[in-house]
Amino acid sequence: MKISRLWLQTWFEKELPPVEELSTALTFHAFEIDGVEDDVLDVKVTPNRGHDCLSYRGIAKEISAILQIPLKARPEFDLAKKTDAISITLSTPQCHRFVAGYIKNVNVAPSPAWLKDALEKQGQRSINNVVDVTNYVMFNIGQPLHAFDAGQLKESNGTYAFEVRAARDGEMMLALDDKEYKLSSTNMVVSDKNADVAVGIAGVKGGKPAAITESTKDIIIECANFDGPSVRKTSRALNLRTDASQRFEQVISPEMTLWSMADAIALILELAGGEFVGIADNYPELQQKTSVSVTLEHINKVLGVTLSVAQVSDVFSRLLFSVTEKNRKWTVHIPPERIDLTIPEDLIEEVGRIIGYETITPVELPDLNRTVILNDRYARNEQIRAFLIGQGFTEVFTSVFADKGERVVLNKVDGVRPYLRDTLKEGLKEALERNIRNKELLGLSQVKLFEIGTVWRKEQEEMTYDIAVEKVKKQKTEDEYRVELEQFVKSLPEHADAYPEQQFTTTEHFQHFSKYPYVVRDISLWVSPQSDAESVIRNAPDNSLVQYFARLDRFEKEGRVSELYRFVFQSFEKTLTDEEVNAEMQKVYDAVKARGWEVR
Amino acid sequence: MPQGHVHPISHLIRAAVDIFGRMGFAFAEGPLLEDEWHNFDALNVPKNHPARDMQDTFFIKDDALNTSHSEVSGEHPQGEDVLAGHVLRTHTSPVQLRYMEGQVKQGIKPPYRVIVPGKVFRNEATDMTHEAEFFQLEGLAVGEDVTLAHLKGTLERFFRELFHGAKVEVRFRPSFFPFVEPGVEVDMRLVGKNVPEKLRDKWIEMMGAGMIHPTVLQNAGVDPKQYQGFAFGMGLDRLAMLRWGIDDVRLMHSADLRFINQF
Repeated sequence: MKISRLWLQTWFEKELPPVEELSTALTFHAFEIDGVEDDVLDVKVTPNRGHDCLSYRGIAKEISAILQIPLKARPEFDLAKKTDAISITLSTPQCHRFVAGYIKNVNVAPSPAWLKDALEKQGQRSINNVVDVTNYVMFNIGQPLHAFDAGQLKESNGTYAFEVRAARDGEMMLALDDKEYKLSSTNMVVSDKNADVAVGIAGVKGGKPAAITESTKDIIIECANFDGPSVRKTSRALNLRTDASQRFEQVISPEMTLWSMADAIALILELAGGEFVGIADNYPELQQKTSVSVTLEHINKVLGVTLSVAQVSDVFSRLLFSVTEKNRKWTVHIPPERIDLTIPEDLIEEVGRIIGYETITPVELPDLNRTVILNDRYARNEQIRAFLIGQGFTEVFTSVFADKGERVVLNKVDGVRPYLRDTLKEGLKEALERNIRNKELLGLSQVKLFEIGTVWRKEQEEMTYDIAVEKVKKQKTEDEYRVELEQFVKSLPEHADAYPEQQFTTTEHFQHFSKYPYVVRDISLWVSPQSDAESVIRNAPDNSLVQYFARLDRFEKEGRVSELYRFVFQSFEKTLTDEEVNAEMQKVYDAVKARGWEVR
Repeated sequence: MPQGHVHPISHLIRAAVDIFGRMGFAFAEGPLLEDEWHNFDALNVPKNHPARDMQDTFFIKDDALNTSHSEVSGEHPQGEDVLAGHVLRTHTSPVQLRYMEGQVKQGIKPPYRVIVPGKVFRNEATDMTHEAEFFQLEGLAVGEDVTLAHLKGTLERFFRELFHGAKVEVRFRPSFFPFVEPGVEVDMRLVGKNVPEKLRDKWIEMMGAGMIHPTVLQNAGVDPKQYQGFAFGMGLDRLAMLRWGIDDVRLMHSADLRFINQF
């Protein structure tokens, strides 16, 4: 949720610290900050706090608790006036409360600059003063609202009638986004009961026909509480995510409806004038008041700290919780919007985060005084690894996704290779082919791979291993290696008494490799027995182009020595041309000639 | 014959098995193809809850599958319907449950200490920092008085030893994962001359962790009134990238010897 410092300031008398300090305060005591732009924080509200913190009110309470800056007293508009001009029928249990506020003779006009600017910071386009107020209050309090043009609703015997009901299969509704939605019985709608037409997709989007326009005179503000999972389903099914649906999905308290309604009416009267007629409120089942208890001992035992009664009491008071404390045990009367607080551990988290996790001193676990039970399969796999490494194999991990197999993924994002592999062979074969292309660069005379991984076959998930070996004349074949491997595996004990001792890699830094093709050049020459040919030859060409260099062969004959060297040339910047490689090799030939050696 | 090469992820798993092993942690495993109960519901991630959206899941077309781990799959109290689907596990956390269930079934009481290295899956497009298949290291310690302070101490020691005795600081930030309460994000900072420059003196986000939610203990058959514990889950690919300065996670799964043979 985007939080602007300017808007947040409206909740406080005292000037707030700079935006960086707000960011730090939230980061270490409440939420991650995804970014800061000018005076706007992008607060990553966690799913457990979607109940209350997708709002300025929620974030203001957090800042107040963390930085110990008191919240400003806010005047509250009196909603005592009721009206009979609106009737509300709830035909589905998935609407927990529906409040309607009736204002006559408003003057719909463009919003003042401060309101336009505020909404712009939330990424919202200004529409008109009435609609903008409903959006502003939603962001401010966290409770979505919707404004209807009463003139477009059907009046019957001096009464407007709303019904919240399941949509009919195939029922159509033109929404505010000018799109027509085809609804089904799993969707919930707000209906103009007198006309029996849907005027809103409950909790998701309002309907176009009863939208506020410049000619609107009388308005009805809807402020309702809809079931979270139901709104979520509808919003998904219609592929329509809105700021409202996002808030209802999180499950919010029905108590919040009146807070929002009061603010909205006060602000509309201020900006658009009109006369407040009254509200109608259908609230069949009051939200239960809850309390949670926690002891000092429990708090200290979970966090691993030694807090005092005073410290914990201070946290609860900063969070504006109403509490009673007796014998180091607190009973916290949970504010209605804090639906996340249900068990003692939830309160322990409140204490931990407000005090700050930096106060926790690291402690190592006590010795268990018993030997760690070994995992036989891991021990076997480590033996296989050690054996194959000794034979010059490299371990690879290939994808579990395949073109065929017994099990299939229903929703693979890219659509390719939707099956789960039933063998390691295919992946290894592919990897072998790809690596053979880089064989000289790798300085390998034969590419040999192995994988230890999971396959799904014969209705079982199993961990298995396999190898893939390049066919090279006069070198051991894949089958020969496989026979040796099987013999080795058979020789392993069923139960390990220790994991094999293994060398941790001594590599400290990964080195980038070039994506460009490489060129192989060999040179063989006669040198004198005590010559320093290797270093002379190695250093002759441009070092940055030599990716691999080795002496492949050496033998003595009649007092002379024959040596065979290999260069693999490759650039990090481009594909090398023949001419460029020839020029490098010429440097080698020149060096050889200067020493009086003979190229064979 | 020249020695071959072990994949860097295997190097890290070895190091983890060794370092955590000396702190009393055993090596546990579980199936990659997991039922929704263990992957979500039993970990306190209810259906139709936004928390379930945090992870993009591969769903598997279902017909009866007997995993080789079915002997520890255990009963759950919510009836048949929650077993409806199978998924490629989105995290190693279901193994917390499977391990504890298995211990309870054998009549073995806490203390429990295990690590779970293994492959996990997210159904998302891949780029330099995202892979659909990657590795996680889960850790779990349950006892009568295992605290958040122990979590800090345990992770500090792991990083200190992994980074060869560098001075390591660990800090927590508040966070949310449905299966822990309190839940924290863990950052690490390495200080000292021997630390690679890219990592030196910088706070780096390492993992999610917290105190195991009482409901999760309950679901595994462990009495949350008597026992408590911590759990953490860190990305091994990310750890490898930090450890060796690797800038593209896809290299880890490329089976490219130009990469692996450097280790």
